[in-house]
Amino acid sequence: MDTALLFDNAVVLLPELVLAVGVMVLMMVDIGRRGQNGSQLLAGLSVAILLLGIGASVMIWGRAPVEYLDGAISDGFALSVRLVILIAGVLGVLLSRNWFPAIERQGGAFYSLHLLAVIGMMLMGTATNLIVLFIALEIFSLALYILSGFYRENARSIEAAMKYFLLGAFASTFFVYGCALLYGAGGSSKFTQIHETLATGGGNPSLVLPGIALLLVGFGFKVSLVPFHMWTPDVYQGAPTPVTAFMSVGTKAAAFAGFFRLMMTALPSFHDQWAMPLAILAVLTMTVGNLTALRQSSVKRMLAYSGIAHAGNILIALVAGTAAASSAAAFYLFAYAFMNIGAFTVTIALERQYGNENDVEQSRLAGAAERFPVLAAAMAIFMLSLSGIPPLAGFFGKFLVFKAAVEAGWAWLVVIGVLNSAVSAYYYLRIVVAMYFQQPEQAGDEKEQPFVPASRSSVFVVVVSVLAVVVIGLQPGLWADLLRGLGQ
Amino acid sequence: MLELAWLILVFPALGALVNLFVGDRLGERGIHVVASGMVVLSFVVSLGLFFGLAGLDEHHRTATVHLWDWITVGSFHAPAALLIDPLSVTMALVVTGVGALIHIYAGGYMHGEQNFQRFFVYLNFFILAMLVLILSNNFVGMFVGWEGVGLASYLLIGFYFDRHDESYGHYADAGKKAFLVNRIGDFGMLLAVFLIWTSVGSVVFEEVHHGAGALTAGAATAICLLLLLAATGKSAQLPLFVWLPDAMAGPTPVSALIHAATMVTAGIYMVARTHFLWELAPVAGGLAAWVGGLTALMAATIALTQVDLKKILAYSTISQLGYMMLGVGVGAYAFAIFHLVTHAFFKALLFLAAGNVMHGLPGGELDIRKMGNLRAKMPTTFWLFLIGASALAGLPIFSGFFSKDGILLHVANFNIPLYLIGLFTALLTAIYSFRAVFMAFLGEARDQHVHDHAHESPAVMTRPLWVLAFLAVVGGALNLPVLLTMEHYLEAAVGAPAFHPNVTMEFVLLAVSAVVAVAGVGLAYGRYVKGPSTGVGRISGGVARLVSPLELVARNKWYVDEFYAAWIVGPLLGLSVWFNQVVDQGVVDRAVNLVGQVSLSLGGNLRKMHNGLVPTYALSLFCGVVALLLWFVIGG
Amino acid sequence: MSWSLLFFLLVGAVSLAAALGVVTSRQPVHSALFLLTNFATLAVLYITLDAQFLAAAQVIVYAGGIVILILFVIMLIGGDTNDFSAAQRAWSRTVGMALGIILLLVISYSALSRMMAPSEDTAALLQGGTPEAVGIELFTKYILPFELVALLLLVALIGALVLGRQQEGASEGIPSVKANE
Repeated sequence: MDTALLFDNAVVLLPELVLAVGVMVLMMVDIGRRGQNGSQLLAGLSVAILLLGIGASVMIWGRAPVEYLDGAISDGFALSVRLVILIAGVLGVLLSRNWFPAIERQGGAFYSLHLLAVIGMMLMGTATNLIVLFIALEIFSLALYILSGFYRENARSIEAAMKYFLLGAFASTFFVYGCALLYGAGGSSKFTQIHETLATGGGNPSLVLPGIALLLVGFGFKVSLVPFHMWTPDVYQGAPTPVTAFMSVGTKAAAFAGFFRLMMTALPSFHDQWAMPLAILAVLTMTVGNLTALRQSSVKRMLAYSGIAHAGNILIALVAGTAAASSAAAFYLFAYAFMNIGAFTVTIALERQYGNENDVEQSRLAGAAERFPVLAAAMAIFMLSLSGIPPLAGFFGKFLVFKAAVEAGWAWLVVIGVLNSAVSAYYYLRIVVAMYFQQPEQAGDEKEQPFVPASRSSVFVVVVSVLAVVVIGLQPGLWADLLRGLGQ
Repeated sequence: MLELAWLILVFPALGALVNLFVGDRLGERGIHVVASGMVVLSFVVSLGLFFGLAGLDEHHRTATVHLWDWITVGSFHAPAALLIDPLSVTMALVVTGVGALIHIYAGGYMHGEQNFQRFFVYLNFFILAMLVLILSNNFVGMFVGWEGVGLASYLLIGFYFDRHDESYGHYADAGKKAFLVNRIGDFGMLLAVFLIWTSVGSVVFEEVHHGAGALTAGAATAICLLLLLAATGKSAQLPLFVWLPDAMAGPTPVSALIHAATMVTAGIYMVARTHFLWELAPVAGGLAAWVGGLTALMAATIALTQVDLKKILAYSTISQLGYMMLGVGVGAYAFAIFHLVTHAFFKALLFLAAGNVMHGLPGGELDIRKMGNLRAKMPTTFWLFLIGASALAGLPIFSGFFSKDGILLHVANFNIPLYLIGLFTALLTAIYSFRAVFMAFLGEARDQHVHDHAHESPAVMTRPLWVLAFLAVVGGALNLPVLLTMEHYLEAAVGAPAFHPNVTMEFVLLAVSAVVAVAGVGLAYGRYVKGPSTGVGRISGGVARLVSPLELVARNKWYVDEFYAAWIVGPLLGLSVWFNQVVDQGVVDRAVNLVGQVSLSLGGNLRKMHNGLVPTYALSLFCGVVALLLWFVIGG
Repeated sequence: MSWSLLFFLLVGAVSLAAALGVVTSRQPVHSALFLLTNFATLAVLYITLDAQFLAAAQVIVYAGGIVILILFVIMLIGGDTNDFSAAQRAWSRTVGMALGIILLLVISYSALSRMMAPSEDTAALLQGGTPEAVGIELFTKYILPFELVALLLLVALIGALVLGRQQEGASEGIPSVKANE
């Protein structure tokens, strides 16, 4: 083959390449750094690299979609997902700064893993080939396993990493088995090729359905669909909160992106077969997620179950399986990135107030509005957005997904989805109630604790997230135009 | 003038922002002036809009003020635009007019409160959201306002979040209840919007109106039933009315503004706004009429048994909203809106007068059994309350008489049993409103301590009430029988009614209503002033015995709360507990505890952790794998 | 029955037996050795399929590298017994086994019942197993995944570095776990 092929259309992967080069630079700088203060430099460098990545994505925005080496594509959907992931990455790095001592010592490793995870996630959205898809999945999964165990002074963090790793490996085996079956069915690892072969009556159609079932397990694990969700609360709770914030958004965006592209470009002709099982998974996921979230006392666990419920909502878009639905999902993820990371950032800030416990109990939020009016107001906005109150960003995410599903004829699913979001209002609201409408139980010693100012970067994250949640809500059309679905 | 309509939204938004950010530097007086001033300015703009519209041709009195393109996704388009027509202007006048008076009143009522600033920020925010609701020219914008007023109402009901008493329980819970019950209604609203969009292809009222002809009867009925669900939530109708009585936990001006005069009428407004859909769905309309009629009756019976002044008024609000729902259900949109307007006047008056009573009695007493002969101590408030009660009872001349009768007139044409229900409710209304008057203001002082400490309220709390009292008396003139000024005015927005009563029938029914109202007052007088032994008292005693089986049920609010607790909230919480205990604590927490014990020797102790939970999780995952596979292979 | 089929059945049976041995034997060392056997027989099966490169990789990487690593670990941490999940986990073992059997049955049912014969030229397919053919495929058609694997390895490398690094502080080797955990 001609070496020129390697460079033709390589611009498709420009953001990934920028980040990969950035990782190299980062590691060199890490080797060269002296003393403890270097980790600030590394954080700054990572942010710069990620911003360059955003710049690269913007640069290739709007080009006609081309495929690179039969394995990656940069269409509007891929770019939309990249944007979400890069934003989550930037916010995640900003949060990690100063958060825990391990970063001081192993900053180079932490930030390179962070960037590598971002690369893997972005590749999920671009992959048009089963092998690339699987490798991308493994890149970001492996990086996240280690990141979630980075807080080694905390037993829960190590436990979370171990659990995540073992179960993730277990789910990956099913995923790769599914890839193999699908390859056997379509005679190719390329999505479009698989579709063509099967649509024209070739291949081994009998392998398709078991293949889908097993692939579903892999994706279901990553986006935490019920019954593959059991790891989520433990890992979210145990992992360092900045990592949880990044992971909760990035993993969901990446895995859903891959999921959408696979199902909609390789297997659209089997939509009738896979739509119903997915619809049932969506119902299960939303219902179990929301109902379990009702009873959580830890904020991080509550957010974990809320994340499960949100995964169920996004799955509704996949069930609909239309181009409009995929762009609605991209919008949903975009909105979710800001409100969820924002909620976690406030959680981090509150953790600091209550003595760095890597978690906050909801009961301790009582009276928080009196002590930290700004944090409480921001948290209230994020909670309202997560529960889908208009005109905040979260409402339009849900609105567009549900609209697309109704158009595709899944009205009953939407009914269940809307009912579920009514239930979800209860636990989101409980946080608001605790902060605004309750008195702290032992008012005495709570007040004696000095106020620990939040780090500048987390203040920045909160401000950006609040602005984004409000602006997206006031001008949703702008963003919905920007974020494209598959085949748009 | 009409192009400046956006100003009506800017003022309350400005007020809320100014008070939010610099309120603590303004002091109480400054906050009050800013908040009330902004609403007054909005009222001025509304007046401008009214005259602007009046200048237009009678049949084309509608204008759209486009602000910006809000959402455009594919073919889905929802502009941020204001629809100015007689209906929205009437509503805007009520909201800003009554709102301004209540803002002024609240300055006195809330004087010295700890969260004075927060209160006015919320109140301005409410006005903003309510105006968005009534002025939006599309369903999505209306939904934004719909949720916004819900949020404001929730924040204001929970305003005294640290209080707790036997009448309301934890005050913060009352707010939560209101919000959650309303979310059920919102669920209907959202689904209705989706359905409208998929079947008509637009969410803009005007376009939906033009495209409604393409709707099948089934689709129209489904949409209207969902809208009815939404309306029952917001306007506190059966079966979702349970939140409104608890909402009285909020400060009294809030009860007057949000939970009597404006927000709760949003459901009625919404039905009137979508009248073109309801005309296609007679089944849904009939159901709405029955829901309204039964709600009116039930709430009236409950109001008869309450002893808390604000709760009496709360149930009477539900009952009056029932009348309005009855009105829109039978297609008398203009009369329903007319009743909405007059009700806003007299109910705001009654609530604020009740607020004066509460303010003037020691400990904020509201139990009418402890009052009596308050007329001696607070004569102004007595007269104000009396005017309000007369309007509520529908005594002739007062505004409530004309508006309620207009609705009953149309109901009589629609369905006789419903008319009788409405008439009986009117009787009950007269009884319970004068029961409150007689027990609180006349007769003997039943609790000397309360009586001794009672005092009249300051001028800032009585003057705005005189304005309302004036309106409550003469408000009926807006739409006098035969002249029907207001009905004609609203025609451009809600269409002309299909039914034109003849003048004879109109006057006969008017007379019947008048007799019923007077009889009700007489019965109340007999029972609560004269005592059961006198002649009038015996008649009313007989009536009381007649309805006594109802009384127990009514006293317990028809057990609706209990029903919900047993059949909906209970099972839901049970399910949540089950998930939590079986899935989370049974499996996860036990495992986590195990790990916790182990983790002290965590170093190489991977294996015990492994023992703890990963197998369980893996097993659950594995079950999912096999289930999915079976589904796909055997089902597919 | 042809000789090649007989050979396949024989080697396959050994492979399956070894795999069973891995999960059932109580001594970790035995498990590791069974694993080695399993890998070796798989390599033999690859050769019968004309996948020489794969067979060599199997022997070098899995048998030569991974199993040796596993044996080292077992020797270092002292593998007396791997009987962690004795009595109290019996039910989950049963359930797991049952589910595994169902999985096996379902997949083999769906794969075998309606499997069609490969339409392509088998001779050409068989050429795919030589190191040369694999190399050409890998560096042309699958160059992108190949490059991406480099990233994956980088992640693994950094991860190993992070995990392997001793914690700083006085208590080397013993993590300073908070008492409340």
